[in-house]
Amino acid sequence: MIEKEDSIISEEEAAQYDRQIRLWGLDAQKRLRGSRVLLVGLRGLGAEVAKNLILAGVKGLTMLDHELVTEESSRAQFLIPVNNQGQNRAQASLERAQYLNPMVEVKADTDRVETKPDEFFLQFEAVCLTGCSRDLMVRVDQLCFEHNIKVFCGDVFGYHGYMFSDLGQEHNYVEEKPKVVKPKTEESNDGPEAKKTKIDSNETTMIKKTACFCSLKLALEVDWTNEKAKSSLKHTPHFSTTQSIVFSPFVPLFFPTVLLKFRTDKGRDPHPESFEADAMLLRQIRDDVLEAMGLSSDLLPHDFVSYCFSEMAPVCAVVGGVLGQEVVKALSQRDAPHKNFFFFDGMKGSGVVDYFGPK
Amino acid sequence: MVTLQLVGSLRKELADSLSTCRVLVVGAGGIGCELLKNVVLTGFKNIEVIDLDIIDVSNLNRQFLFQKKHVGKSKAQVAKETVLQFCPTANITAYHDSIMNPDYNVEFFRNFMLVMNALDNRVARNHVNRMCLAADIPLIESGTAGYLGQVTVIKKGLTECYECQPKPTQKTFPGCTIRNTPSEPIHCIVWAKYLFNQLFGEEDADQEVSPDTADPELSWNPADTEARATASDQDGDIKRVSTKDWARSTGYDPVKLFNKLFKDDIQYLLTMDKLWKKRKAPLPLDWLEHQKLTCPQGVTGTGLKDQQVLGVAGYCQLFSRSVETLHFMLVDKGDGAEELIWMGNCDDPPAMDFVTAAANLRMYIFSMNMKSRFDIKSMAGNIIPAIATTNAVIAGLIVLEALKILSGDVKQCRTGKFDSRNGELFSKLM
Repeated sequence: MIEKEDSIISEEEAAQYDRQIRLWGLDAQKRLRGSRVLLVGLRGLGAEVAKNLILAGVKGLTMLDHELVTEESSRAQFLIPVNNQGQNRAQASLERAQYLNPMVEVKADTDRVETKPDEFFLQFEAVCLTGCSRDLMVRVDQLCFEHNIKVFCGDVFGYHGYMFSDLGQEHNYVEEKPKVVKPKTEESNDGPEAKKTKIDSNETTMIKKTACFCSLKLALEVDWTNEKAKSSLKHTPHFSTTQSIVFSPFVPLFFPTVLLKFRTDKGRDPHPESFEADAMLLRQIRDDVLEAMGLSSDLLPHDFVSYCFSEMAPVCAVVGGVLGQEVVKALSQRDAPHKNFFFFDGMKGSGVVDYFGPK
Repeated sequence: MVTLQLVGSLRKELADSLSTCRVLVVGAGGIGCELLKNVVLTGFKNIEVIDLDIIDVSNLNRQFLFQKKHVGKSKAQVAKETVLQFCPTANITAYHDSIMNPDYNVEFFRNFMLVMNALDNRVARNHVNRMCLAADIPLIESGTAGYLGQVTVIKKGLTECYECQPKPTQKTFPGCTIRNTPSEPIHCIVWAKYLFNQLFGEEDADQEVSPDTADPELSWNPADTEARATASDQDGDIKRVSTKDWARSTGYDPVKLFNKLFKDDIQYLLTMDKLWKKRKAPLPLDWLEHQKLTCPQGVTGTGLKDQQVLGVAGYCQLFSRSVETLHFMLVDKGDGAEELIWMGNCDDPPAMDFVTAAANLRMYIFSMNMKSRFDIKSMAGNIIPAIATTNAVIAGLIVLEALKILSGDVKQCRTGKFDSRNGELFSKLM
């Protein structure tokens, strides 16, 4: 539950948050200020999400990661200073994360997320999972769903990234719409028309709305083999250009599906150092996954493997930005949340919001 | 079979060209900080960044390379220092300067493989656009405001340039609206800004605040209007004394200023009865009468202090206090320095207090709902709301376009538009 104890905004906060209060309003800022967030995984995407949430002014952010800093990871992420090899990644990110905004309680937790008991997650209003196995994400999502904790998942694989949201059975929020106002009209048939007094055009009204979400488990369990799913494969999204490849919206979902399977099988993500072997395994998984869905492996072309290694910094920035804003929206209960996936293709530079799950 | 070599996510050839080329980032603010971080993490090694600005506390919600202790320092310089902490091998040159300085000539621009804009104003964008066209260097243009953002690639001979499409001009209001017949809060705010300049700043003939006797509405006969205009030019001395000279002659007495601006001038307007046939007439204020009313004490409620609307009596007090403070500051500047400068979006309390008070008193006079300091600051200071995430996404898109340019894929470049509220990321091939 968001703590409502402190409803006064200090001078310091008002000055620092001025530009965002002017955008999302004071109420939203207060709600953010009462929220505690758990962020799992401090690689490239995690660092971006951490930055965005700390700057937004949440009450607390706990950064959880059991991995150690390697030479590669210190290149990939802007919170870890150099020469921290061998240190825990969350710990190494702590100082610079805290500098982003001293008004947020930033903590580092070095445990493996798999070892955390259920109670651990219940202290947060929102949980963000990056770099996690599919099984863990499903488990944590299920637990949080039962306790009305907002869940977000996201990953970046090379040029591609995705994020998923589960805001629970009933997520209440408001949308600000401009007040529709009819200008006063007066007859003026003698002489120059007098200027009319306009009603203040800056007035807006808040409309209450509700959105319902499904669990990650259900979202990923879409039965592709049935006719209805197959026929929707022919539907192309509106966002593509005239020169777009005729991929269906489900293609974006295949990427995380294949890469998450790789992660489960190998206990890690594809690594440039073992490019040959990893590429072969990726293609194999692609074939298996698509065959199980009764689909042609052409949907993910042969060279897809060369674009999903490591984490591209700009792709982390895009996915981290979208994910960060979704967390802000959910915690502040303002503006319509994405339902329920966002996919980003860094090769094409296009992003798509799409819903997968029971209708 | 040729092995594909990857350096991180990138093919080796691309990674190599990143590490040898030089790029220019114009601006180290909202987009600039995110962009520098992306550029460095992606593997660019030779980067030059330029920004004329210094750090302000209101930047800290998104310009994440800066901390509170850096307030007042050069953005470009601090950005460079912070980036070097997580990437000491980057070769960064920082300029605390304006990109429009003639030192940065076409030859300067030709040093770069590409230029990335992270600007917030049209004048500079036009300038960089022309320099890049002249030098024939690809330019990635971008902008954000609130939840919206956009990225475009500009390459001579291939795409249209920044100035090809007409851009909407800044809105201005007719003098008679500002001086005689305001109908919206913004008219009163503009009037208050003009008044600030007339009293404390640089006097400008286009920023008159006194009643306009040449208002076209005062007569239907164009010849008549012209006659009035000529008459007011040739009129006796009294009308031709500048506002500042007059104020000085009263010693900037707040009560005298108040009564002239909010009583005498309004009474004069009332004599122009044609203006009020179809409009609600303004109500003159009297200083003494409003002294009798009490004004609200302290801050009530849980809103920001600046979001309170004080009421007429409160604004009378605020007007008086701010006139005294500003007069004091003017005098303090000494002989020769005759002007205070309006800095809309900096934290300049007395000037903002003055504009808030004067604008609100005028709004009251013209029967408009008064506005809080918070709202007036937005309008008077041309403040654009801004958040970290929109900038983060746009800066990500900029680098992705940069990579296409470096791969020789200019034809794959796109115009990207992003709306943070719904996550829609449109991109159109150029």
